[in-house]
Amino acid sequence: MAWKQKTYRTHSNRKSFLDSISRRMLFIWCMLAGLILLLAPKSFTNKFQFAFASAFRWPIKIGRDFSLSTSQNQPYIKNLNRNDIQDRNQVIYLKEELKQAYDKIDKLSGMRNRSPMAGAKLVIADIIAPYNDGSRAELIINRGTDDGLKKNQLVMSDYCIIGKIIELDSRRARIMLLTDAKSKIDVTLGEPEIRRTMQGIGNNCAKIIPQISATNKISVRDEVLVQKTPGLLDCPMIAGIVTECKRNEKVPSVWDITVQPACDITQIDDVTVIIMNP
Amino acid sequence: MRWLRFAVLIIFATVLQAGFLANFNYKPDLLLILLVFFSVYASSSEAIVSSFVIGLAADLIGPVMGPQTISFGLFGTLLAYMHRVIAFRKMHYQALAIFVMSILTGLLTTLLNLIRGEPILSEFFVNILKISLISGILGPFLFLPAAWWMRIQTNRFRRK
Repeated sequence: MAWKQKTYRTHSNRKSFLDSISRRMLFIWCMLAGLILLLAPKSFTNKFQFAFASAFRWPIKIGRDFSLSTSQNQPYIKNLNRNDIQDRNQVIYLKEELKQAYDKIDKLSGMRNRSPMAGAKLVIADIIAPYNDGSRAELIINRGTDDGLKKNQLVMSDYCIIGKIIELDSRRARIMLLTDAKSKIDVTLGEPEIRRTMQGIGNNCAKIIPQISATNKISVRDEVLVQKTPGLLDCPMIAGIVTECKRNEKVPSVWDITVQPACDITQIDDVTVIIMNP
Repeated sequence: MRWLRFAVLIIFATVLQAGFLANFNYKPDLLLILLVFFSVYASSSEAIVSSFVIGLAADLIGPVMGPQTISFGLFGTLLAYMHRVIAFRKMHYQALAIFVMSILTGLLTTLLNLIRGEPILSEFFVNILKISLISGILGPFLFLPAAWWMRIQTNRFRRK
């Protein structure tokens, strides 16, 4: 009976603790905590997000894998198996490398040359958590500044550029995929090469801006290559495939081009970060 | 309120939202549904704390920390106070409450993201509307398993 009384008292005390604080004070404290989180530096608040992603890595991954069987976002990619995708992307990369090598030979005949990736350090990282929420497409990986990673470094998978690092701490980094609505990257496409920007639009798609004149020949399944960027990428690499190319409804003289990643991002478990000048 | 069960439920919903539901184009906001659930069925003090905690969980899987903690906390508290005047017992009222709450929290979150310096997408309202609609339709059906897990009797109406 005494035990029961004690239990009852403890329960009663616990219940009264929350009720003993006035609702107004409770609300003000919680709101202050929210404001502190909002105004705190991102480098600090990222630690909470990274910690959650690390702690619940496996259930998140299991859930993601389970839902993959129902999603059909990339019909052009789904028809290929992963080895075919890797082979195709590697061939495109080697073609670009060869083209660049010929250009250099023409310009600097007699000088010693090296492969664009020869001096680069490739860091393989596991995906801790993917965040794919309509317009948002991000990955958290288990490599950070301790592994030589820096902001804006490009990330590839299956020989295809998939995104860039936007935030990182000592052991983890956040990658913004090229299909994220905030992502913008310089690309080339078509023959002859047309330089444009690829902007993510969410839902695993990106568009080409500014629009290309309809006099240029662009067709579905054309390759979209990330332009070489000093310090980040020494040779153009494939980023996507044109999946839709139609005339703009308002201005029929330009193409509306939709691009999807050249690899199936939902199927990858690890990525490679390109550190061009380690 | 059974806080341990509450923590397990929130973690489960957060993991489900970030994992299983992440690849779907059309999906409900489980955390928002739970926000409405606790605002309706918990006491006012518990509703305030649970609203902020659910907002914090939503921020953990969001782009930045803070906006959803504030918006969920603010509107969850308002709904809890409103529940003292208007009862949300019928399913279609609950669906409407979820729909309206989703739009309000979505708009405030977008505004706070803007203040935080995050770029805003042109079609953000369409996204909010899509999530609100799906959450509103599915939400009331999820109240039953949530009530069973939390050992809350939904047919016993009380206002605190």
